[in-house]
Amino acid sequence: MSKTLKGITLKGSAELVAEFFSFGINSILYQRGIYPAETFTRVTQYDMSLQLTTDAKLKNYLTNVISQLKEWLFDCTVQKLVVVITCLETNEVLERWQFDIDCDKTAKESGAPREKSIKAIQEEIRSVIRQITATVTFLPLLETACAFDLLIYTDKDLEVPEQWEESGPQLIDQSEEVRLRSFTTSIHKVNSMVAYKRTNSM
Amino acid sequence: MDDMEDDTTIFSTLKSFKSFISCPDRSLLETEPAFGRSGLQNLYTKRVELEEAAERVRSHTSLLQLTQEKQQMELSHKRARIELEKEANSSSRDLQREIDRNRELLLQIRHLKEREEKANQELNEQVENNKALKRNFEELHKKANEKDSKLAEADQMISELKDETRRLNQQIQIQESKFSTQNLEIQALQEQLDVQRKKFQDVSQRYQNLQSSHSTSTESELKMKELERRLALQEQDSVIVKNMKSEVARLPELEREIKRLREENTFLRETKENNSLLREETEGLRRKLERVERVMEEKLKVELEKEKLEHELQAWENIGQSTGLNIRKPEDLSREVIQIQQRELNLKQQNYTLNSSIRSVEKTRTELMPEIAQLRAKAQEEQKKRENQDSLVRRLQKRVLLLTKERDGMRAILESYDSELAASEYSPQLMLRVKEAEDMLRKVQTHNTEMETQLSKAQEEAGTFKLQAQMVTAELEALKEQQVSNTEKNTLATAEEVSSLRQKIEELEAERQQLEEQNNILEMRLERHNLQGDYDPVKTKVVHLQMNPTSIAKQQRTEEVEQLRVECQRLRDRLRKIEADGVMTTDDTTLIIPPSQEILNLRKQMESAELKNQRLKEVFQKKIQEFRTACYVLTGYQIDITVENQYRLTSVYAEHMEDSLLFKLTFSVHGKSEVLQFAV
Repeated sequence: MSKTLKGITLKGSAELVAEFFSFGINSILYQRGIYPAETFTRVTQYDMSLQLTTDAKLKNYLTNVISQLKEWLFDCTVQKLVVVITCLETNEVLERWQFDIDCDKTAKESGAPREKSIKAIQEEIRSVIRQITATVTFLPLLETACAFDLLIYTDKDLEVPEQWEESGPQLIDQSEEVRLRSFTTSIHKVNSMVAYKRTNSM
Repeated sequence: MDDMEDDTTIFSTLKSFKSFISCPDRSLLETEPAFGRSGLQNLYTKRVELEEAAERVRSHTSLLQLTQEKQQMELSHKRARIELEKEANSSSRDLQREIDRNRELLLQIRHLKEREEKANQELNEQVENNKALKRNFEELHKKANEKDSKLAEADQMISELKDETRRLNQQIQIQESKFSTQNLEIQALQEQLDVQRKKFQDVSQRYQNLQSSHSTSTESELKMKELERRLALQEQDSVIVKNMKSEVARLPELEREIKRLREENTFLRETKENNSLLREETEGLRRKLERVERVMEEKLKVELEKEKLEHELQAWENIGQSTGLNIRKPEDLSREVIQIQQRELNLKQQNYTLNSSIRSVEKTRTELMPEIAQLRAKAQEEQKKRENQDSLVRRLQKRVLLLTKERDGMRAILESYDSELAASEYSPQLMLRVKEAEDMLRKVQTHNTEMETQLSKAQEEAGTFKLQAQMVTAELEALKEQQVSNTEKNTLATAEEVSSLRQKIEELEAERQQLEEQNNILEMRLERHNLQGDYDPVKTKVVHLQMNPTSIAKQQRTEEVEQLRVECQRLRDRLRKIEADGVMTTDDTTLIIPPSQEILNLRKQMESAELKNQRLKEVFQKKIQEFRTACYVLTGYQIDITVENQYRLTSVYAEHMEDSLLFKLTFSVHGKSEVLQFAV
């Protein structure tokens, strides 16, 4: 493990952030009901019980994206990760979970580990995931069948592998935004926010 | 032999003993010459030898004892052997006896075994015989049973046969009765036959008569027959036509029924369609309602906004009126604002340029001021120098005057002295006086020079003091001039410029505040866009995997939709085919949706009705044909329907086709009938 007891290196920070995204995306999919609840299994992480999918195709897709994201986090070329939830009937974007990533590029040059305890980072991640779970109370119900997509905002000049293609930002028409908590590993800072389509209540 | 051997051994041992005994003597004798040595040694050696001999003797004796014991043992052995042999012999004899006995016993056993075997065999044979007998018995029993059963069956058969014979007898009787009746009938028929034969004979006679008379009539009769055949065919055809007409008459009813059924079907379909249409309409109306309600809400919001905008418009118009400018549209306002802004910009630029020029001028001035001071100081110094030099010049001039005067005086004195010299000898005194005068002169000159130097020094000091004073005065004058200039400036800057500058400052402050507000708003917008997910396309790009769950779900949806459309199209085609045919035919296309039970029931009913119709038609046809033939045969007249209520009767014996009777019948209570035509 590159996360030594002494401090956090760039590689260790990238692994921590990628791990957070893996569990965070699974929690969002479970909470919003994109996939049936019986396809999820309970695991323990960050001293709390989280839901992880058992669907093989979904697992394969997530591991592909997260592994590529880890590389880009190590290169400090990724700016945002967005989970887009689309309604299948109307092809409208209903929700956008956006995670802004600020990378301290001096860590890339120096290579010296930074002093921040892993427990503090895990505490911060725990609070973010709890907040994600709590947002379900005020988000509008997803009544129709929905599907999700993962978008990554990167530097313009970055070379992407063949399986990745450019896409639009898939913004929501008439949205309400809520800013959530953030956490930092002293090399990467992750800000979370959720945007949802305004419902015209009768 | 052993004894001999023992003897030999004894002899041998004795011999050896003797020899031994003799040997030591020899040895002793041999050793006698060796008396040269000591007697003790000889004694010792003799003792040793004697001991050795004793030992040998002992050994020999032991040997002899052993041999003797051995011989005794051997003897005993032999005795034992002999006894053993005797015993062995006896035992052998016993053995042989026993063997013989055994053999005998064995023989007996064998005999017994043979007997046993034979007995067993006999037993087995007897058992087998018994078994066979039993089987035979059983078989016989079975056979007896079978025979009994057969007998019983035979009895049954006999009884049955008896019954049958009875029945047959009965049948025979019945048949005999039938036979008798038939015989009677036969007789009757024969009688009839006879009668007919007679008739036939009569007829044949007639026929022969006819034949004889009418040869041509036969041809005509043949023709008649042919015509009759044609007539018959035509009548059959007419019958068929009439049947067809009846069918046709019935067909409208069937068609009516079919039409009714079709109408009902169409009505039901229409009702179904209407139902579906009504449902769609209701759904559409509901959606419209929802849209209308949304539109109403939006309209309310829009009206509110419109009021707000109207207020704002009025405010803007008021502003236009209040400012007094020629403002009718916000465009004019914007134009004027732009113009004012441009003016402000220009003024600002001018202000800045002026300020910069002022500062540069001030800088140059401040730079030039010391130079000016320096120049003034220099000028003053030079003035002083000039004054000094003027004073010097004056002094020098004064000196020159003095010197000239002195010279003149001295010249005069000299001249006087010269004049006086000629007169007297006053020259040494004069010379002394002259010297004293010259000394006095020199002293005076030195005193003068000293005084002049002191004067010059004093004048220089005074000059320096004057310079300093002038410097100070110059500085004072400069300061005064500055103050004067400031005061002049303050006095020069009028209230208008001050006010204008104050206005400019206020406007600039207001602009700054506005710019700060705009900056805050823009930052808020940026933040909001950032939250919504906007990005700078120059620096960032958005990527995602091609095979992502949303695209896969969309593909699946489109495929489902296409499949549903294809199915709908097929169903529509099927429906069209069914409606075009009007009859439930077997489907050429594959059945996607199974037909409902009602339709199946209706199809079955239709088929059964059609079958019934067909059967009824056939039956009616047959019956009609039979009836008509029966009528024709029995009555001798063929009844045909030409027109409604008109009936034509043709006789069997009619000579021509046209010979028929036409009747008209009206079915009333009394049943009138009229004869219309009569043709022969």
